[in-house]
Amino acid sequence: MFGSLKIAMVAILITGIAGAGMYVMKLRSDNAILKANQLKLESAITDQKQVIENQKKDFEEILDANKKVNALINALQNDLNDLDRRFNKKNRDIGKLAIQKPKPIERIINKGSANATRCIEIASGAELTENERNATKKSEINPECPSIANPSYVPY
Amino acid sequence: MLILATFLTNCSGVKKLSIFKEEVPRAQLNLDKPTALQLEEIKWIIITSDNAEEVFNKMKEQGLDPVLFGLNDKDFQLIAKNFAQIRNQLMLTNDLLDKYKKYYETDVNDTNTKK
Repeated sequence: MFGSLKIAMVAILITGIAGAGMYVMKLRSDNAILKANQLKLESAITDQKQVIENQKKDFEEILDANKKVNALINALQNDLNDLDRRFNKKNRDIGKLAIQKPKPIERIINKGSANATRCIEIASGAELTENERNATKKSEINPECPSIANPSYVPY
Repeated sequence: MLILATFLTNCSGVKKLSIFKEEVPRAQLNLDKPTALQLEEIKWIIITSDNAEEVFNKMKEQGLDPVLFGLNDKDFQLIAKNFAQIRNQLMLTNDLLDKYKKYYETDVNDTNTKK
């Protein structure tokens, strides 16, 4: 009677110890998994931070590109308006002027035409010359397209 | 027989398949920019009722056919404005192309900023 009770007690004790051991082992295994998860999460956070940083940089670059395109559109429009102004400055009639002084007007027209031709070359990607790059005075610039031909020129 | 069966089942293990994904960046287009234009210079001749004879005589002296393709002063202004608009469009398109290249291809030389 007591013998079988003892055996049962010992069996329960052994089972208890084994169970506790297994539980501890499970806890250790869970702990290892949690540590690995923590590392993965930290790495994911770093990656995400990098992605956000890159996106921020991209947005800034896009904004900057937009600003520059708008500035270029405005500058080109100013050149176009200026051409219109030169033709009609103070009710100027280029036809009448040409009748009165055909030779000087021919010279002016040909100079303007050469300048406009150079503007198209620049717009198509031609490199600026040293003189064009450094021009700051009205007498030095290409009046047909100063915004693209003379980057150092500030209208005055 | 039993030994052979044991060999076959235990030694010829099936390998685990490992499937991985590798991101291969798209090949860059890298088209060369078109060569810049080199335009011919043209000469405008102003002809009025007063100087017409003189102009035609001069052309004959220079060995040119005494013929002119004319525009009146208003149309001359229009052609000048049309060319200015074409130039602006060309400039903008080139600038956009440079910006796209700069954005998507990091080691690109932006020719417009070089100017």
